[in-house]
Amino acid sequence: MPRISVANLNKEFKIYARPQDRLTEILLRRKKHQVYHVLSDISFALPDGKSLGIIGDNGAGKTTLLKLLVGTLQPTSGDISIRGQVAALLELGAGFHPEFSGRKNIFLNASLLGVPDDDIAQLENDIIEFSELDYFIDRPVKTYSSGMYVRLAFSIATMVRPDILVIDEALSVGDMAFQKKCVQRMNQFRQEQKTMVFCSHSMFHVQELCDIAIWLDKGRIREIGDSDKVVGHYEDFCNSKKTYHSIQEDIPAALGETQQPKDGNQTQDCKINYLAVKSLQGEELTSLIPLSSIVLEMEVEVLVDGMEANFGFAFMKSAEEPVASFLTNDIERIDKGPFNKGDKFIVSLTIENIAMRVGEFYVLGGLADKSGLLWYETKFSKLLSVEANKGVGPLIMKSDWQVVKST
Amino acid sequence: MFITLIRQWVLTPFVNYRLFHNFIRQDFFAQFTASIAGFLWLFLTPIIHIIIYAFVFSYIFQIRDPEGFGQTTFVIFMMVGYLPWFAFADAISKSTGLLIEKAPLITKVVFPVNIIPIVGTMVPYLTHGIGFGVLLVYLATQGYLSWMWLLLPVVFFLQFLFTMGLVAVLSALCVFLRDLQQLVALLVMTWFFLTPIIYPITLIESESIRSLFLLNPMHSFINLYREIVLLGEFSLINFQIIVPVSLLSYFLGGWLFMKIKNAFGDVL
Repeated sequence: MPRISVANLNKEFKIYARPQDRLTEILLRRKKHQVYHVLSDISFALPDGKSLGIIGDNGAGKTTLLKLLVGTLQPTSGDISIRGQVAALLELGAGFHPEFSGRKNIFLNASLLGVPDDDIAQLENDIIEFSELDYFIDRPVKTYSSGMYVRLAFSIATMVRPDILVIDEALSVGDMAFQKKCVQRMNQFRQEQKTMVFCSHSMFHVQELCDIAIWLDKGRIREIGDSDKVVGHYEDFCNSKKTYHSIQEDIPAALGETQQPKDGNQTQDCKINYLAVKSLQGEELTSLIPLSSIVLEMEVEVLVDGMEANFGFAFMKSAEEPVASFLTNDIERIDKGPFNKGDKFIVSLTIENIAMRVGEFYVLGGLADKSGLLWYETKFSKLLSVEANKGVGPLIMKSDWQVVKST
Repeated sequence: MFITLIRQWVLTPFVNYRLFHNFIRQDFFAQFTASIAGFLWLFLTPIIHIIIYAFVFSYIFQIRDPEGFGQTTFVIFMMVGYLPWFAFADAISKSTGLLIEKAPLITKVVFPVNIIPIVGTMVPYLTHGIGFGVLLVYLATQGYLSWMWLLLPVVFFLQFLFTMGLVAVLSALCVFLRDLQQLVALLVMTWFFLTPIIYPITLIESESIRSLFLLNPMHSFINLYREIVLLGEFSLINFQIIVPVSLLSYFLGGWLFMKIKNAFGDVL
């Protein structure tokens, strides 16, 4: 039985142009609002002891989803069932009274978060120590720097021992040393087989701390699954956002079709019969594993006599955006023609240790003229996705570690 | 429904005792923190109010000492009514801002929201209850003490329940209708003058108008305090009014609050 299960969850906000519209709607029963869908049709289940990361752009509905989970907002429709005690860190220090000392604030804040009654006094010293506030603990909270404020709040919050901990963006604050402590505390929480829901813009943290991730896009689940994978796809989406439209629009048109030569010559010089991406063993691939080796292969048919050509391959993010390119221009040992009509070649290129860590790519195969500037013919492969692994950033490199004790 | 009401409204302060306690402590002490006179304001405010009213009414208007209360001077007569009223008025005036001020808590922290109007009523009653207590101690030394005084906590508690119901409704409605903040301030002032606090009801000569005052539960409360404290007796009619009215206000207020609290998150 899952810790958290959510089925067909919807949340709408009613938007009123003027505050009095809300009243007239109640009194006159006339519809005066517009409906804004924040979340639509969210369903997922989180098993016990797993942690869930929620990622997505600003305004995607991440915080709303968290608020619905903890119960400060009510769903418009759908079911949420949660087993166990929930503690929420949606805003650090939400209950602090600025005039009171840090020490006094510990008590109300801890009881708000549901720290068991008798434990607070007992935990007081732990909290103060963890927050590194020293003598500031007896100064009014209003005199704290924002870092100190958050440190105190987080220290109190981590003393909570709930079954489910819900955290919103809490880690994006504090200095590095404190962040490290926070991550340690959260890891400890995971080791205790507790369930955690975590929403952050820090992809690294989501990957490190979560087993499962949900990518929210405009209030819908765009992807759910293994956090490494989802984070990878989301990162890739963010990187390519500026050209996202061209991927959508250009590639399908170009896919499988032969493009006309750019000089307007209606007669084709050559034809690419097929283009394939294969493993070293010769199996056709639909996804790429980082650092694996692959073979790009195409069959070219020459349609005119006396054609001279270079062969080329490229990894493309969109029709306009190459990631890496390979061309036979400078490679002496490759035969560049002239070829005769009817000649067929199988062109293959082995690539070792592919360096892309995340994302989706097309492979482009093509023939260019002697100079390598004018393309006779190009062909796109199907979309290939990279099976993201752990790490951050778009690239991965073949590497070898050594740690040797120096004398 | 009724069981939920009992559990989430009546029993909330007991179930969440520690939270309740910490809330009260914070809100109570927050009134005095960072001010020089601190706790002195607990006593200074009502004393200054009373001096002003006493000056205006006994000196300028020359109001006679109230009839039917023996040797009691006007100032004592007024104070016995004014201090409990002050608790009521303070709680009602603050009610409109209760949830709005705590908006970050309500939207971001999971806790029983029902506790807020309870705390919001409790704090003024504690604050002004202390002043009332001091007055009672003084009157006891002046020979007013009687067995009847044992009823005072009951009356005060009923007034507390009556207030809590109103505070719950007002605080909840104010989330949706901010205009209430201004309206309630006016309402409290009007209610003050319509309740015989700074004047004895005997000042109103028409019998029919005087009977209209029975519609004002605060009049019954204040009448009871005066009868019990100053005369050592009480009229049953006042009890017959305040018991049902207080319980009705308390339960209805709690019920309404719980009915609309789920919408707070959307609006705050």
